Amino acid sequence: MKKVVTGVVGNDIHVVANRLIDISLQARGFEVFNLGVNTSLEEFIDAVVETDADILLISSLNGEAEGWCRDLQFLRSEYDLKDVVFVIGGNLAVGEAKESDIIPKYKSYGFDLVFHQVDLNTGLDVLEKYMSELK
Amino acid sequence: MSLLQKERDIITRNEYVDAFDFDEIEAFIKNAPKELFISHHFKKRDRLLVQPRGGFPTYKKMFELYETFMSADIDVLPLTIDSNTRLNDYAMAKKMLTLSEENEMDMLNGYPLVNHGYRTTRKMVTHFNKPVSLRHGTPDARLLVETALASGIFEIEGGPITYMLPYSKNFPLDKAFLYWKYVDKVCAKYSTLNEPINRESFGPLTATLVPPCIVIVIQILEMLLSIEEGVKSFSVSFSQNGSMMQDIVTSNVLKKLSRYYADQFGGEDAILNLVYHQWMGAFPRNKELSDSLINTNTVIAAMVRADKIIIKTRDEAFGIPTMQCNAQSVANTKYTLRTLKGLPLIHDEEEEANLEAEVKAIMDAVLNDSADTLWRKVFNSIKSGVIDVPFSPHIINKNEVITIRDENGNIRIIEKGQLPLPDKCFAYEKSKVNLPASKTEVINKMIHDIGAML
Amino acid sequence: MSKLLIDVGSTYFKVCEETNITQHFRDFKKDIYEDLLHKCGDVFSRYKKEDVFICSSANGGLSTLIIGLTNSFSLKFAKNIAFNSGINIIDTILYSKIEESKVPLELIDVVIVVGGIDGISGVFDEKLLTYLQKVQYSNIVYVGTVQDANYLSSHIKSLKVLGNIITGKLHVNELELKEYLTNLYQADIVGKEDIKHLYEFTSNQIYSTPYIVNRSLPLIDANFEVVNPFIVVDIGGATTDIHYSRDLVRDNILSDSEYDRLVFKKLGVYKSKETLVFAAKNNEFVYELLAYLNVTENILEEESEKALRVLMQLSIFLVLYKVSRLNPLYVTLHLELLKSIVLTGGITKVLSYAEVEAIITFFYKKVMNLHSLPTIVLDYDYAIWTLGMKNNEHKEPKCL
Repeated sequence: MKKVVTGVVGNDIHVVANRLIDISLQARGFEVFNLGVNTSLEEFIDAVVETDADILLISSLNGEAEGWCRDLQFLRSEYDLKDVVFVIGGNLAVGEAKESDIIPKYKSYGFDLVFHQVDLNTGLDVLEKYMSELK
Repeated sequence: MSLLQKERDIITRNEYVDAFDFDEIEAFIKNAPKELFISHHFKKRDRLLVQPRGGFPTYKKMFELYETFMSADIDVLPLTIDSNTRLNDYAMAKKMLTLSEENEMDMLNGYPLVNHGYRTTRKMVTHFNKPVSLRHGTPDARLLVETALASGIFEIEGGPITYMLPYSKNFPLDKAFLYWKYVDKVCAKYSTLNEPINRESFGPLTATLVPPCIVIVIQILEMLLSIEEGVKSFSVSFSQNGSMMQDIVTSNVLKKLSRYYADQFGGEDAILNLVYHQWMGAFPRNKELSDSLINTNTVIAAMVRADKIIIKTRDEAFGIPTMQCNAQSVANTKYTLRTLKGLPLIHDEEEEANLEAEVKAIMDAVLNDSADTLWRKVFNSIKSGVIDVPFSPHIINKNEVITIRDENGNIRIIEKGQLPLPDKCFAYEKSKVNLPASKTEVINKMIHDIGAML
Repeated sequence: MSKLLIDVGSTYFKVCEETNITQHFRDFKKDIYEDLLHKCGDVFSRYKKEDVFICSSANGGLSTLIIGLTNSFSLKFAKNIAFNSGINIIDTILYSKIEESKVPLELIDVVIVVGGIDGISGVFDEKLLTYLQKVQYSNIVYVGTVQDANYLSSHIKSLKVLGNIITGKLHVNELELKEYLTNLYQADIVGKEDIKHLYEFTSNQIYSTPYIVNRSLPLIDANFEVVNPFIVVDIGGATTDIHYSRDLVRDNILSDSEYDRLVFKKLGVYKSKETLVFAAKNNEFVYELLAYLNVTENILEEESEKALRVLMQLSIFLVLYKVSRLNPLYVTLHLELLKSIVLTGGITKVLSYAEVEAIITFFYKKVMNLHSLPTIVLDYDYAIWTLGMKNNEHKEPKCL
């Protein structure tokens, strides 16, 4: 069973999305570690280390991840996490922004998969496909 | 001097607060007009009271809002508190209040009551001479409530469970119980001077597929915690759930069981009231459709024989409504209620028996907890998942219960987690739902069910 | 029948009888037993052994080294449990940095190894074993993933294995480790030559002082003019303890206690005076503070009654400073929400209320930019300790 650490950057308003991701991942056969809202980047990384997770799935609803995840590459190299799949999804930009700008930017921060304004089940379908192709 | 009074002296001594004159405050409450006490209006039971939401940062704008509401023949005025005050950050509230005053722009999402103080606010409350209801969401509301009561605000919403589980991630729940105990004690103390102070619980919780049994259990428990401290007037509440039948069943069981448990716990003399919240989930972005939803809600509030309805506006999907829009909503609701006559009394015996059995089973589990105080029994029950609120952000909440709507819009439990539901009840819940075959479809249905009114 | 309560500190003895409390300065030339017998022999003669209750912090407590996988879970949880079990000295090592980490020179009483939820394996390897070979320790306990327990047990002599302190939901599971550490602490007290003899005075279990204070915390606000959230600061000769209400922090730990404890091992006014002075001289506010107290920095080098008072005032300031937002290295407390500060320990016998108030006023004004203070309560007659001792008679839980 693949293990996923998930949670939300930013505050309480986003509980519903977070919980739905949790339930959806479980329904798809993942073991889920949900850190909830207002989670710090260090907590995310540390949770991946403690659980030996395969995937880190961060949601960000109002473009809060900008600036916040610039330390990701550094933290990722602190521990040996090259086999972990890093995913970010949600609403990744403040205001109008082109998907063609956003995706490369987040990939350069160190994310393997980037979902900007993508519907939950579609995103998880892509994630499952990505995971099966990794093998 | 009693320990409580010494504690009150310490609580009210604050950088941002002018000294409290407790003797003067007692005299004020003792002689306050009955009109200010919502409990006085509840006692008459002659109509469904209408209350909107609303709060602006400056005194001037708040006063203007109340004037606008008065023109719509309002029953209960709201005082919604800003989010800095809810987190006890009076320094930031002060800064933002000053900016709001200087720039004629609203830099706060509510009225910073602590910073305005009771001497100022009381002038406004007594000027309009209507009951005012305090709406906030504060875990530690001790100073806020002291200020409200001294201002002539004699209805205090909130409680240690209903203001924590939907709003906070990590405020320690045991502390919240302690701080709300203080609130109840002070309300009880003032209740002996004139008409009783009314306490109101916040039944909507996360407003996201919360099953009625959990809402009712939490309403009863917060009521018992208040009664334990001597509160004599208490409102239980819930919000539109998505099925008129389930709302009626919820109301019937909630009324019956809250009276039953209050009597069991020495609250025979307490007045109990029912508050109905219009839809607390996401509103359509079309204002006419929102009007229609609000109207349906008003009909249901009358059907469930609520004592007070808390209303929304057609601007709900767009943020804080304008004063005029808010007052229009009051007027519309009052109109609907005035024209709505001859409502049938409805019961559904099977549903009510099932819900009652569920509530009693959970209540038994809570009351049988080995702790020596009621609040700790409740605390332990939340920790163990005997009480579990879907979609709560709090780390103490189990988040194991999963619910979905049946084809009539009723919320049904499909995963019970640690809820001590009798087998028969759980089987009944599950028998009502035809779950889609694929799990993805179940999730899609849940998403659809959450946004039922979009 | 009345009870005799005794607290043996590193600097003072406190002796509490039904109606009065007396305090005696320790004579370091004598061992504890002789010193106590010399000063209070006649008092003991009036009580039966079963009516005498003793607690002690004289041995300084256990020294601990925690080796953990991450800061946010392993180390944070283990540290929280250790402090709440009454442990004073804690050093931590992040496992990923173990190869570069210094080896402690002194003997460690207990090493705690923690990492990983149950179900994962291979968290710890030879790196741990290599490191541990260089460390001198008396006890070692493992509280990480159950899958690594066998490997570690087979390579580490007398490894104690307990349940994982990290649950499957990444929450803390404190019970077993807390019980283990508390018992180890008790055993340590009993084992100390100095303390061993004290059992000639009592037939009751001798407890550690922080354990006793901790017991009384939930009762404080119902017994004194203390309002939640509060902190209790116990400034001792060697260490300074601070017990704080949990709503002053936001740290995602879901534990059973309403109060947490933190220890500053280098801010005592006697045994760790040098480190206290050093910390003071390096603090940006201290010269202003000394001027405010109307003294010069020379006072820090003096040996006088006045110098002692100033040192105590400094230690109050430094403790508050270290838990404030200006010092993010330690636990940060939301001191602007604080309603009461309770000071207990020897300090209440030396400083007047006005002296304490002066320092707290300075702190709130300079560091917090606030003019109104929390209420200050000085526990002159060790009422908190007495409450904890008395409360302890009826309930004797296995752990804190």
